[in-house]
Order: sequence, then structure tokens, then C-alpha cells
Amino acid sequence: MTEIKHHAYLFDATRCIDCRACMVACSVENNIEMDKTRIWVAGLGVTGKYPDLQRGTMVYHCMHCEHPDCMSACPVGAYTKAEDGPVTYNPDLCIGCRYCMNACPFGVPHFDYDKGLVEGAFIDKCTFCPQRIYNGQEPACVETCPTDALEYGERDELIKRAHERIAAHPDRYINHVYGEHENGGTSYLILSHVPFKDLGLPELPEEPINEVSETVMEMTIPFALSWGAVLTAVTVGVAAYDKKKNGNAAEKKAEESK
Amino acid sequence: MKLNITLPKFLRIGTLPLVLIALMGIAFVVAIWRYAFGIGDISDLSYSYPWGFWISFDLFTGVVISSGGFLMAGTVYILRIKEFEPLLRPSVLTAFLGYIMVAVALLVDLGQPLRIWYMMIHWNHTSVLLEIGICVMTYLTVLAIEFAPVVLESFPKLHKIAHLIHKFIMPFVILGVVLSTLHQSSLGSLLLIQPQKLHPLWWTPILPVMFFTSAISVGLSMIILESSLSSRYFQRGLETHLLAKLAKALPITLGVYLLLKFGELAVSGDLGYLFTSGVMSVLFWAEIFIGVLFPMVWFSIKKNRTTPSGLLTGAVITLLGLILNRFNVSWFGVKHPDPLYYLPTFMGNVDYFPTFPEVAVSIGIFSAGIMAFGLIAKYFPVFEAEHETEEEHAHGLQAVPVPGDD
Repeated sequence: MTEIKHHAYLFDATRCIDCRACMVACSVENNIEMDKTRIWVAGLGVTGKYPDLQRGTMVYHCMHCEHPDCMSACPVGAYTKAEDGPVTYNPDLCIGCRYCMNACPFGVPHFDYDKGLVEGAFIDKCTFCPQRIYNGQEPACVETCPTDALEYGERDELIKRAHERIAAHPDRYINHVYGEHENGGTSYLILSHVPFKDLGLPELPEEPINEVSETVMEMTIPFALSWGAVLTAVTVGVAAYDKKKNGNAAEKKAEESK
Repeated sequence: MKLNITLPKFLRIGTLPLVLIALMGIAFVVAIWRYAFGIGDISDLSYSYPWGFWISFDLFTGVVISSGGFLMAGTVYILRIKEFEPLLRPSVLTAFLGYIMVAVALLVDLGQPLRIWYMMIHWNHTSVLLEIGICVMTYLTVLAIEFAPVVLESFPKLHKIAHLIHKFIMPFVILGVVLSTLHQSSLGSLLLIQPQKLHPLWWTPILPVMFFTSAISVGLSMIILESSLSSRYFQRGLETHLLAKLAKALPITLGVYLLLKFGELAVSGDLGYLFTSGVMSVLFWAEIFIGVLFPMVWFSIKKNRTTPSGLLTGAVITLLGLILNRFNVSWFGVKHPDPLYYLPTFMGNVDYFPTFPEVAVSIGIFSAGIMAFGLIAKYFPVFEAEHETEEEHAHGLQAVPVPGDD
């Protein structure tokens, strides 16, 4: 197996048969309750009017963004974006503020709402199966997929493959690879035959969402220093003015009393 | 028939303190429950709505109503407008208690409350929440230093320390103003990361500026409110002439805020949403009418500025409107992405509504704050600067009802 420089998934909505084997595989592989699965399959049901019927299924999990908003938002830096793709979460640093859940445009991070102080309430999300991908295996969800709706590999190659597939079947696909540019690019790419909005995916700009807040944060320290300097100057100035005024008043008083 | 029961003196604590203690008790029980069985057990928070009433009320509202502290500290120490000195101590106390309430509330809201100090050592420089955390922690210390002389003065042996603090107060005052500016505005920056989720009527890159501008108006109103209430409760004189000056500033600060709001909407081309967004438009106009337009008119009338009832009414309405803004930005205007509609039911709950225990926690913490204010104001010279100039000082002191004798 060739070494992968940038791990990524490709999901083809036309191939998914809604069997949910990936959900089971994920739960078994990562030893988590089914209720808290890190991957979830959404059957959109049959839509349209006979005879123009369509059915859609969406497999939803962490998008492993190139510019992750969860990572940008986390105050204690519990998230990391690996050079080779995966966005991972470190429970040892997490304080449980749930800002990452707010920040994520895809609503991916989950929280242990049922855990008290003793067990500890943490965030849970897809880890990209590091125990598998760094040993030459595919992630559990991909390996178990019977129809190859989920594929795994080098990001650039997957993008190429997706475009080739669109070109080969232009009638079957919408001419867009979701995740190629959305939010600055993601490592979970999606091909679909129904509008991406119907799959429940948000419409995102090509620039990373967190650009605005990160720009504001960069301005914080310079602003604080200059604001502090201004205030100090004002303090000194007003004090000097006050002293002068009081001094004059005192002189006047002294003169008057003479 | 009238019951004639005489209680021993230490049990005579009045109705208000009793109610406050009861509310605190309820909150305490709920908090214990939450620590035992998890946040989901007592709240309606979900995967789709990770932040709810606690964040809107305890964090957003709690921080903004504490902004009077830095305003008065800046006015009295930096601008040296000494006539406002009678308002300084109560404002600093309000701010101090307000921030303690924020911190306590966060201990209930956080998944790992014991790790709150991690913010001091693990820094992620791109996180707005980190900035707020650091600022609030540091500012709490600054406020403690600013307020310490009031407590220390009551103990003759500690006068020296109080004098020392007073001598070197200026750096702390400046630091306090800088920190306040930073985190009052950063609360707005918190929402910058969710342009998809927050309604365009509120989401703007200049959210931090909006938050700071409105925080000034909230601070002024809060000083008026807290002076009015404490003057009623402690039956002391009201500094109407000073409050009138604050009230006169309100139409100006609110006017700037109004210009910013509509200017931004015009520039970003979101003016259309003002009438087309249904409930969101109504909420926006409610916040503008109650919190900005009405107070601007109200406080432009001299009679309202110079009478205690006019001041109190105006301040309460301003606060309601501007606090509605904080709720709009952090809760009502936030729509989490629809993909969640198809999630399995256990992840669902796209509609959030706070549960009774959730609200009870916030009310309990708030009650504790009021209680603490009453006790501190009773036993320490919070209002002293003004007593010196007032003749009914001795009389007023005796008439103080006991807010919780122990």
C-alpha cells in the first residue's frame, strides 16, 4: 500500500443503500454505544411525484475540515488538525464548554449530556480511525461498506476520481464535489444526485468561516496595548491638568487672603 | 384574627432575604442533581443546541450588566470627575458580584467544571472564548483589588494595606478598563464563528463594536437601577443629581449604537430582513424600540431624568431592551443547521426551550448575588462616601432593614 499524504473519504450518495453497516462497524471498532455513534445514516426517503421518484441517503460524519472551526474555537486547544488530514479531539484538555459544537457548521461534535461529574462529560467525534489508517487499513466504516459508497484514500486522487465519475455519468450526478472547496476544503468529499441542500448540508463559502474571528483575535493584543497606552496618557494628562487648575486656585486663594 | 408571634432576634430576617434563600436552596439542589446525573438530566440542551438559557442569561447578560464597574472606575479615577465618587463603590461591588455570578454559573454549565483553570495554562490563540476566560479571570482579580479598601477600612489594623492599595490603584484601574473593553466586545466576537447559524439581522463582522457600545448604555442604566433599588431598600438618600447626568448621557450612547446598527445593516445590504424575517424581524424591532428608541425619547425629557421614578422606569426599560439583544444574538436568532432534522431522535431536539431546573439555577445564582450585595452593603461602607454629606445619615443607618441576620 502506498503511503497516503492526505487521508480523505469520498461518499457517493447514489451508491448508498441505507444498510447502516457503517454505523455498526464504527460502534464496534471504537467501542462506543450505538446511541452515540460517530457516523449516522440519514434516509431521506422517497421524494418527488410518480413516475419521477428519487431516493436519497446521506452518511454523515466529521468532515475533517482543512480549516476546522472546532479547532479555531476551542479555548484550550483540545483539537488538532494533523498534517495528513484527520481532525482529532483530546479529552484530556477538554473543559466541556461546548463552543466547538456551536462553531461546527455541520453539527458534528457530540457531548455526554448523560454523564455527571464523576464519569466526566466529554465531546465525542470521529477520529478517522488512526489505529487502522496508520497500519495500512481503511477506516472501519469504509471497510465495511458493501457498495463502495464510502471510499478512502489520498485526497487529491479522490477529488480526481469524483470528477471522473461525474464526467462519465453527467446525467446521474450533480456537477459538484461537495467538500472540495467548502469552508476552505474538507477531507470528507460528497457526490450526490440530489441537491446537497436536500442531503442536509449547509451552503458554505469557499473561504474558511473562522477567518473573521481569527482576524479579530489577531487584532486583540495590539488593540489592548494601544488602548492601554491611550488610557495611561489620558490619566497623566488629566492629573496634570487637575494639578495645574488646583494650583492656580490655591494661588488665587492665597492672593485673595493677602 | 391576628397571630402575635415574637421571633427571637436572629430569626427576624424579613421577607426578601427569606425568598432569596429559598431560591438559592432550589438552585443548589438542582446543581447537585446536575453534577450527579449530567446536564441532559435537568436541561433541554442537546446536540443541536449546546448553548441555551445559561449562556444567554448567566454569561451574556451577567457580564453586560456588570459593565457599570469599569465605567465608574474610569470616570472617577481616570477622568477625575470626582463628583461621581458616591456611585463608584456600589458600581464596583455590582461588577465584582456580577462576575462571581458568571463564574459560578459557568461551573454548572461546563462539562468539566474542575478544569476551568485549564484556560490559564492551555492557550489556543485563535479562540475568542479563551480571551473572554482570561479577561474575566484577570478582571475579577482587578475588581477584588479595587473593592478591597472598602472591606479593609472597616478593620483599623488593616488601614495601612487599604492605604497602600489606594496609592497604587491607577495601574489596576487602567488594566480594568482595558480588560473590560476587551471582553465586553469579545462576547460579540463569540458569535463571529457562526455566520451560518446566526440570523443576518445580528451577524456582522463588527459584532464586537456593537457589544461594546451597548454595554456602555447597559452599564449606565444598571448604575441608575442599582442606586434606585438600594436607596429604596436601605432607605437612604438617592443621588438624583448624579443619576440625572448619567441619564443625560444615555440618549447619546444609545444614539451612537442605533447609528451603528442601522449603518451596518445598510452597508451589508441586510435592510430587507427588517420586514421579511417574521419572528426575527419582530424580535429585532422589539429590541430597538424597547432598548434604544424608547429610552432615547424618555431620557430626553428633563422631568424623567430628575425624578426617582422617571429614572428607575427608564433604566429598567433600557435594560430589558438591551438584554433582549443579548438573548437575540446568543439564542433566539441562532438557528442550528437543518441537517439535524433527520438525525435519529436521540440526537434531535431542534427546538430548544429551557426547562424549569435550568432557569432555577440561574435565578438561584442571581438571588445569591442580590443577597451578597445586601449583606456587604449592610456591613461595609459601600455607600459611605455619600453618607458623609447627608444629614439623615444617622437616621438612615438605623432604619436599615436587616437583609439576612446571622
